[in-house]
Amino acid sequence: MKLPLALLGLIAAVSLAGPLIAHILGADPSAVDLLDRFGGPSWAHPLGTDELGRDLLLRLLEGGRVSLTIGVAAAIAAAAVGTAVGLAAGYLGGWTDRVLMRMTDAVIALPLLPLLIVLAALDLGKIGVPHVVADSPAISLIRIVVLAVLVGWTTAARLVRGATLVTRSRDFVRAAQSLGAGVPHILWRHILPNVTAPLVVATTLSVGDIILLESVLSFLGLGVQPPLASWGSMLSNAEELITSSPTLAIYPGAMIFITVIACNLLGDALLQRFDPREARV
Amino acid sequence: MFQALGARLMHATDVTRERGTVDRRSRHSRRWLLLLAAFLSFPIGPAAARDQLTIGIVQFPVTLHPDIDAVAAKSYVLGFAVRPFTVFDADWKIACLLCTELPSFENGRAVKTTLPDGKTGVDLTYTIRPDAMWGDGVPVTTDDVKFTYAFGRNKESPVSNAELYREILGVDVKDDKTFTLHWDRLSYDFAAINDFVLLPAHLERAAFAEPAQYRLRTRYATDPTNPGLYNGPYRVAEFVSGSHIVLLPNPHWAGPAPYFKRITVRAIENTAALEANLLSGTIDMVAGEVGLPLDEALAFDKRHGGQFTILYKPGLTFEHVDANLDNPILADIRVRRALLLGLDRATLTQTLFAGKQAVANAFVEPLDAGYTDDVPKYPFDLARARQLLEEAGWHAQSDATRRNAEGKTLSLELTTTAGNRSRELVEQVLQSAWKKLGVDIRIHNEPARVLFGETLPHRRFDLAMYAWISAPENSPRSIFRSDEVPNAANGYAGQNISDYKNPEMDRVIDALEVELDPEKRKTLWAEAQRIYATDLPSLPLYFRSDAFILPKWLTGVRPTGNQYPTTLWSTDWGEAK
Amino acid sequence: MIRFTVIRLVEIAAMLVLMSFVIYGLIGLMPGDPIDLMLGADPHLTSADVARLKQLYGVGQPLTERYLAWAGAALSGDLGYSRLFSAPVVATLLPRLGNSLVLLGSSFVLAFAAALGLGIAAACRPRSRLDAAINFGCFAGVSLPTFWLALILILVFAQSLGWLPAGGTGGGEASGVADRLRHLVLPVATLTIASLGGYTRYVRAAMRDALGHDHIRTARAKGASEARIVWRHALRGALVPIATILALSFGSLVSGALVTEEMFAYPGVGKLIFDAVMGNDYNLALAALLLATAVTMLANLAADLAYAWLDPRVTYQ
Repeated sequence: MKLPLALLGLIAAVSLAGPLIAHILGADPSAVDLLDRFGGPSWAHPLGTDELGRDLLLRLLEGGRVSLTIGVAAAIAAAAVGTAVGLAAGYLGGWTDRVLMRMTDAVIALPLLPLLIVLAALDLGKIGVPHVVADSPAISLIRIVVLAVLVGWTTAARLVRGATLVTRSRDFVRAAQSLGAGVPHILWRHILPNVTAPLVVATTLSVGDIILLESVLSFLGLGVQPPLASWGSMLSNAEELITSSPTLAIYPGAMIFITVIACNLLGDALLQRFDPREARV
Repeated sequence: MFQALGARLMHATDVTRERGTVDRRSRHSRRWLLLLAAFLSFPIGPAAARDQLTIGIVQFPVTLHPDIDAVAAKSYVLGFAVRPFTVFDADWKIACLLCTELPSFENGRAVKTTLPDGKTGVDLTYTIRPDAMWGDGVPVTTDDVKFTYAFGRNKESPVSNAELYREILGVDVKDDKTFTLHWDRLSYDFAAINDFVLLPAHLERAAFAEPAQYRLRTRYATDPTNPGLYNGPYRVAEFVSGSHIVLLPNPHWAGPAPYFKRITVRAIENTAALEANLLSGTIDMVAGEVGLPLDEALAFDKRHGGQFTILYKPGLTFEHVDANLDNPILADIRVRRALLLGLDRATLTQTLFAGKQAVANAFVEPLDAGYTDDVPKYPFDLARARQLLEEAGWHAQSDATRRNAEGKTLSLELTTTAGNRSRELVEQVLQSAWKKLGVDIRIHNEPARVLFGETLPHRRFDLAMYAWISAPENSPRSIFRSDEVPNAANGYAGQNISDYKNPEMDRVIDALEVELDPEKRKTLWAEAQRIYATDLPSLPLYFRSDAFILPKWLTGVRPTGNQYPTTLWSTDWGEAK
Repeated sequence: MIRFTVIRLVEIAAMLVLMSFVIYGLIGLMPGDPIDLMLGADPHLTSADVARLKQLYGVGQPLTERYLAWAGAALSGDLGYSRLFSAPVVATLLPRLGNSLVLLGSSFVLAFAAALGLGIAAACRPRSRLDAAINFGCFAGVSLPTFWLALILILVFAQSLGWLPAGGTGGGEASGVADRLRHLVLPVATLTIASLGGYTRYVRAAMRDALGHDHIRTARAKGASEARIVWRHALRGALVPIATILALSFGSLVSGALVTEEMFAYPGVGKLIFDAVMGNDYNLALAALLLATAVTMLANLAADLAYAWLDPRVTYQ
């Protein structure tokens, strides 16, 4: 648990400190230098330069900031949505439960990537998003977060629903009910605390999944748009150059891999700590 | 008669080209039955003699119909199998392929006419080569001419160049081989009827009974291996959608016999896979017309150049950045000049394209008859660029981006086709270069279909980087004439995207089109280029080049540099002894 | 059992109808208007032409009406005409479906077989080094971006070593079974590795669970051999939860296939969906998406049926 946590912490810290590092080195990650393309490692450029002579290390850090931000933001948002759905289904029961769980099952079973490609290609202007917003550089980030939430909420929903069902019939909840406590109060004070641990695990694991999702969409050209870079979009550029400069593909891919595996190992370690009997399935 | 035609061709070809780029990894599959058949067949060993040729291209032609959809991959394959009446050859002269001789006033085949409305038209008389035959032995006759004309004129027909048929007022048939076309205008390139490609009436007439359904019912779609569809040195013998096309010699071809007994054109849209296939010998060559992007070809050249003949041919594709002159910032000529001066185009083409793509000073390609070098030039000059911006009222700030007296920042949006890697790279070079001038550039790319279909016609952009693909001595009417600005009234037709209006330019274009004397026309061309380079409605970047990767033993492939593929001259191809 | 199957099939049909409506609506929201694109290609179309084309393509009509027109035609077997391929949608889809099923089927079988072996090996020796190694390998497997794995495989086996083709399906006049198989190796390997980690973890967890059950202890007490216990008793019990989880995993297998097909230029349905969406090919994208959904749900149903067959206690009412 310590190793993945330390690794993630390191990646996050260095990525966030990217602008500072760039400032100290006096380099700009988007500064093009046509006379120094595909440069090898040097003191000025520890990992070398890319196809436009930009510093690869700084680009990696910048990409990491984008990828991690999307991963964490979307995982938390997905957990929140999933929790709301799970609480509603578990506590209200009956038809609400059946409908919500049917939806959850359907989302889990569907081939999601093809559908996400359609969603990622939508013209926001056509659904009434103003031109100014739809064309702003940040929109590609927000779009990916929304897409990740759309597919990522199911795990949390199932977890929370299960825990809610169990907790609902416990004595202390019954007691609170008979004392006239309102539904929001019961949910917030008595039920949620019981699902926090598995929820943390699920969220940690989904950070990794979302980073993977983001990288695929960006790789396919549907995610982060230039001049913003994420690890996935850096790979998209590197694909054609794979024979001549494989390092351009290897570094960003390795960063995705390390980050995602660290998330998964951390999630697994957390799971074993919270509930040693269960291994994640 | 060709001004708008050529220009629209530019546009259509550009869109298709871009589409090809966006879908660069796309491939299709073979038919299920054929797949089974392939499973059962045995691998055939390499042929002993080199009488076969396998060509790799990066895009599979979705249709082989000569007059539907102008796509580079289709033109490439049809070059082997279908003869147009006229084309531009490698010397950029009009060549007569299916006809016996080009009409001219001297030989009496061209006759000036006066139209009812007083305008000047022309009657052109062509004779089909007496020995021309379709692959099933049926002679090519004026019946085919009549049918093709009826097809092109029909409102419901899916013809790609409908404008051509609007300009032909009528067809008169003299006999089986000789016919006269009545044109509604007379221009300098009147003898070229490049897009008037004949269809075999004896096979296609039935399919055209219902014009709206013709696209689906044409034999080029339903029965593409029917030999009667082709009248060139080769015929299509096998057509496996998405995979490959096999061409065999046409037994009824009366011209010089082609050297290769079998030509396979294989589509491999993943360029890395294309290179691997080339190295392994699965394919012998990569077509330049539908082949590797230049930067990938250069990288290939660096590693494996010794094993192949690699030809770089500058083409008719003019890369430029359109400036929207409705934008108050860009309306100022000083800003446009400053932007161009601030760009080190020489270094850009030198480093990114190994100098194989010439820096453009104006819009006419150096190979073109109308080209002149005598135009205002804008070599890289940071100091001069900064000075111009100061003069224009954009003052340098401590935080990099310039501002004017009202406090407005010098900030512009730059658009290009998303997914075109080469353009996206150049775009970032521009952004970085103009940042040094204190100009803030925001990048906002769009898929080619949106950019060309909506954003540019509706002129919702500041700066847009794309290409014009033209033809030799192609009038710039639709891109520069003041009445060609797309708007709601004209249904967003026209390609004067910049909203460029200069009466002088209008006058030169009008004069140019009807000037029949080549020398005088050259003067007019030079004038047009000088006006363009002075006004800079768009910022010229460079002319694109194609890379042909050929086996060392192959001879006779002569890149044309215009839109007509090398395959039209496949009878010249052979093996070095 | 038959009743259950029928009910599920009806459910699947209902789901497909719902999906078709949703996707139909979504696709209309993608950028670009086919009519505008046509106008761009031919500036001299008259307003009558435009009206005719709009009539033809139905863009001017309200969504529900357009959908009903499409659905009516679709039910009679007419899925329209592909803009990109200039061919009827059905003729474009079917050969690619075959290709996709070959890729999906072989990857699934390989991954599942390997996962059984690895998962059982790990479950039999919990907390051993082998278990830890397999466990870590699984994490690595699920953490690899599929497209990157494909890139690396292309780099190593196609570019550096030159052993295998980097893409396509081979074929052509000079190809046989061997050539076809060679083209399949890298895509199948990619998809197999991509799904192996997850499957192995399911198998391991299910086996661990099954090995702890009472009847296993009874069998042990009776002196049954360890191999017999693992392969006969425990596996039988473990297959039930494995089947349920596999049923849910087909969706991600199809997603993985899309990326794999894209990377290896393998002409399957996944790649077709991507190309159709990128190329604004409404009819094709719609039909291909529905086909992918239908295939996933049918695989799902098959897993459910396998579940019933494996576990006699389950009866579907």
